[in-house]
Amino acid sequence: MAAPLPTFVAQHRANWDALEALLARQREGTLTLQELRTLDSLYRRAASDLAHAQTFYPDTDAHRFLNQLCARAYGAIYQPPRERWAHVRAFFRRDFPRTLRRELRYVGASGALFILGLLVGALVVLWEPRGAELLVPSGVRQYVAQGRMWTDDILSVAPPDTVSSGIATNNLTVTILTFALGLFYGLGTMFVLVNNGVQIGAITALCAREGMAGGLLDFIAAHGPVELSIIVIAGGAGLMVGQALVDPGELPRGQALALRGREAVKLVLGCAPFLACIGMVEGYVSPGDLFPTWAKAALGLSQGGLFWAYLLRAGRAEAEATEAPAVSAS
Amino acid sequence: MSTVSTPHLAVATPERVALSLPVAGIGYRCLAWLVDATLLFFFWVVAYFLFTLLVSDVLGVFQGLSGLGQTLLVVGVFATQWLYWTVGEVFFHGQTLGKKALRIRVVRLDGSPVGVYESAVRNLCRAVDFLPGLYATGCISMLLTPQHRRLGDLLAGTVLVRDERIDLDKYTAAAPGDAGPGAGAATGRMLAPDEVELVLAFLTRAPGLQPDARRRMGARLVEKVGGLADEEKAAVLASPEATEAYLRARVRAGR
Repeated sequence: MAAPLPTFVAQHRANWDALEALLARQREGTLTLQELRTLDSLYRRAASDLAHAQTFYPDTDAHRFLNQLCARAYGAIYQPPRERWAHVRAFFRRDFPRTLRRELRYVGASGALFILGLLVGALVVLWEPRGAELLVPSGVRQYVAQGRMWTDDILSVAPPDTVSSGIATNNLTVTILTFALGLFYGLGTMFVLVNNGVQIGAITALCAREGMAGGLLDFIAAHGPVELSIIVIAGGAGLMVGQALVDPGELPRGQALALRGREAVKLVLGCAPFLACIGMVEGYVSPGDLFPTWAKAALGLSQGGLFWAYLLRAGRAEAEATEAPAVSAS
Repeated sequence: MSTVSTPHLAVATPERVALSLPVAGIGYRCLAWLVDATLLFFFWVVAYFLFTLLVSDVLGVFQGLSGLGQTLLVVGVFATQWLYWTVGEVFFHGQTLGKKALRIRVVRLDGSPVGVYESAVRNLCRAVDFLPGLYATGCISMLLTPQHRRLGDLLAGTVLVRDERIDLDKYTAAAPGDAGPGAGAATGRMLAPDEVELVLAFLTRAPGLQPDARRRMGARLVEKVGGLADEEKAAVLASPEATEAYLRARVRAGR
């Protein structure tokens, strides 16, 4: 027969208070090894008290208190490994490119959707010029009708800095949305990809019809390859999420989602620094006549080439050489 | 007293004990977000005013800033809005300042603290949960899921749990004026835990009750917990103080 509740509390209270004090010190990170051992044994004792309370005093405040105390101690003891700078370096040297290579099918599908949009947009405008009224934003159409590049005007109204920062935040928003909209069973991601493709395709076709293809090339050559790659990679991450929702396999949907989400976000996080760099290129190099078109094109192509070479090659030799230890080292 | 109806997060520890943590509902989450959003807003307002104190021509300085600096500034502002949440959740035990104020925290579904990837996922998804405005999508998701999780939480496999403030003193504290502890209280059957809780809850609230409500509830509790003879009961019910002293002694009888 169990003791009355107040007696139970009075008997064990000292242990619980000691555990609470140790947990507070643990947060500050000022525990000695001896205290750490005490923490461990006190946690085990509190856990057995909790089991006792579950049986004899369910739904009392003492039970709730022990639940909370044990949860705090559990969180303190079973912590995830702390990520440090070495971890960040390993992420960019191995983890990110390897994840991308493993999920290349999704990135490929995302790229295919984007190109599909591109073709549709371009063909519609080339085949039926009035389609441009539907697909190209009216502001851009006005500029093209006057035979000017809209990008020239951005620059004359605002200094290049504001253009660059505006573009950088805009790219961030598009990238995040492309990934996160995958939560709507992947449909949101598909929409963003195809929609962006159609718009870019339509604008390109319109410029080509009006004989302004050179101007457009001049603007997008320097940053286009990398920027579109990043959008496509984020789209691949979004499709991974959508696939986990549509076909979770043998796991419950929630677990499959969490599992794939952790992998997918690696693709997005890995792209972040490249996105920041390309935002600057787009702000300073792309607009204006500071650089000739061929220089911009060369810059853009070499950047794109380097980016993809990194993605497809980095960490590969290392992984093959040290297949087994690589898992424990990462 | 019972919280059985509120959702809980069940966690199985390696010690083979099942923890059950109360999940934070939409109200707590909204308030915590409001605190965080207000803090961020005031941070930028104060930063702006400090800046204007130092520099008279803000727009001029901003335009005169080197292109690189300006881009970094804007990207920095954007990133701060995002980093604030992630840094808080990863490095401060699952709590941003707003969550700390509301005593809620982010944990994984198995009750362990969140890592960088989980936190990054749930905070990147704020963009979608915010659609089409003011967290409409997130709120619908919170109302529909049993553990009040928004889309970002579903994707990251995280959940918000509540830290309750529980006072254990009430079990052991002596009454302010403990008159006659041995009023025949040690006799009779042992009280069940929920009866103990009930009596203790009454005792903590008694000083704040209306006099006749206090007397009526005290009498009903004496009826419930004590198998007293008539004249003893009359003595116990003579004044609220005597009633409560009896109940207190009754609860602590088993010591």
